[in-house]
Amino acid sequence: MTENWQLHVDAGQENDPVFVGVGEIPTGKFPDRSFIEGLTSVAVMALRDAGMVPRDIDTILLIPCLHSGADQADLVFSRMVEELGIHGSCKSSFMVHSGGSTSDNAVRAAHGLIATGHAKNVLVLQCERWGSADLNEMITMLSKNGIPGEWELPTGIQFNAIGAMIMRRYMHASGSTAEELASVCVTLRKWANLNENAMFYTKPLTVEQILASRMVADPLHSFECPPMADGACAFVMTSAGVAKKRGISHGIRVAGSGGCVSHYCLSQEADQAVLGWPLAAERAWNQSGWGPKDADIGEIYDSYAAVTAIALEGIGIAEKGEGARWFAAGHGDPGGKLPMNTNGGLLSAGHTGVGGGTALLVEGIRQLLHRAPAKRQVEGCERAIIGGTGGSYMDAQILLLERTKLGA
Amino acid sequence: MKTPVIVSDFRAGLADGDLLIQNCHDCGKPNMWPRYACPHCQSDNLGWVKSSGKGILHSFCVLRQGAPEGFEGDLPYAIGVVKLPEGVQLLVRLEATGENDWSAYGCDDEVEFVAVDPGEIERRPCATFRRVG
Repeated sequence: MTENWQLHVDAGQENDPVFVGVGEIPTGKFPDRSFIEGLTSVAVMALRDAGMVPRDIDTILLIPCLHSGADQADLVFSRMVEELGIHGSCKSSFMVHSGGSTSDNAVRAAHGLIATGHAKNVLVLQCERWGSADLNEMITMLSKNGIPGEWELPTGIQFNAIGAMIMRRYMHASGSTAEELASVCVTLRKWANLNENAMFYTKPLTVEQILASRMVADPLHSFECPPMADGACAFVMTSAGVAKKRGISHGIRVAGSGGCVSHYCLSQEADQAVLGWPLAAERAWNQSGWGPKDADIGEIYDSYAAVTAIALEGIGIAEKGEGARWFAAGHGDPGGKLPMNTNGGLLSAGHTGVGGGTALLVEGIRQLLHRAPAKRQVEGCERAIIGGTGGSYMDAQILLLERTKLGA
Repeated sequence: MKTPVIVSDFRAGLADGDLLIQNCHDCGKPNMWPRYACPHCQSDNLGWVKSSGKGILHSFCVLRQGAPEGFEGDLPYAIGVVKLPEGVQLLVRLEATGENDWSAYGCDDEVEFVAVDPGEIERRPCATFRRVG
């Protein structure tokens, strides 16, 4: 299938939306760091990074939290507008939500608002306190999200079971070994060891340690499960025209995006070793005019190793069946041919619920802005593939981002 | 809330030892999970057919820890996705082949529906399958 589905804004146009700043605080267990404190910190950091103050922001988009309904209500009902002191001038504040792929859809929302003139300067905010929440409460909550209660709750399904089924099907389809799947986690840990904000910054990890860890849901080991974490991050988008007027020399634009919602519950997915990635990728390449060989980095959702291996194959970064072996060969490592999940990903920087994908996106923007710490900044980073997926891997979302020079 | 009829009918089938597949009386196509309107033709003229009980296991896992609240006593247990020859698929429990042993199962194995005691269906209203051969 070939379809011609183009964006209505091009590079060089005044209304072309661009990322101009990011903010992030450390991910891990921070029980004494409040929800609103986290949000405020990353908002101020992202605004400073963009050379802005709160009054410059007319629109706030909120990434949901999963740890508390009351905190989520604070987001929905514009608490951050008041906390930042822009009540009275702020035009709009609202939440975007599609689980793990929320950040991709938040970018689409901000992009559309800016390109059409509904918004000038958009601040996107995320904070989660999964690491400090009651673990059993979270497991039970997660066993009810993305699962049709009346049909599937009686089986006792929960999120590690979903990850384990995808892993088993992927191993069957690709012939990948347990060692090869574990190597995905090891690559991510190497990146986390370069990221002071990562939950496992100081802890190395080996394939042997993973395979010796407890079996949680055969074939998934406990060290292959994403660690629930507290974390927060933010980013700022504006138009190329506004950015130029503000004296910003480079921005990050959206070359194109592609998506596919392939199911609601995993039981209705046609092929668990494929998911929605091939169609999402076809749409993204068609819209951007560039392909997987043109990217300098990838930041692709990694709540389980198999999920990322499958995504790499669908996107065309790895050959069919070779996603896990691509990692085992070190291609995604620091210094590898396509640095992958350079913040350590959800598996090693920490799984901050809906925020895990946001952190990957923020890392991609940071790399493209050339503002990552020197030890993990990828040299000459011009193009990034961002991949997200939500719920029970219900969708595959791809954003293709590229660095662009603003003005003369 | 009262249990919707499509749910109670499906569960009554399980208690009677039948795996029911929703069937559209207008376009004739099967739906799983059962829907309120046929996703193929939007008709609400929907009924049931009995499944042949045969299936192919797409994937599965054995959950050993981290059960949802109320399922702790069931551990370990195996769940899997089965594709039926009728063209639909569903999430099921898998019967152990030995004591807490599912090592004989593999992806793409032939499996079959197992009728379960109505008391157990009352407690866990889901289909159970087992390996063929």
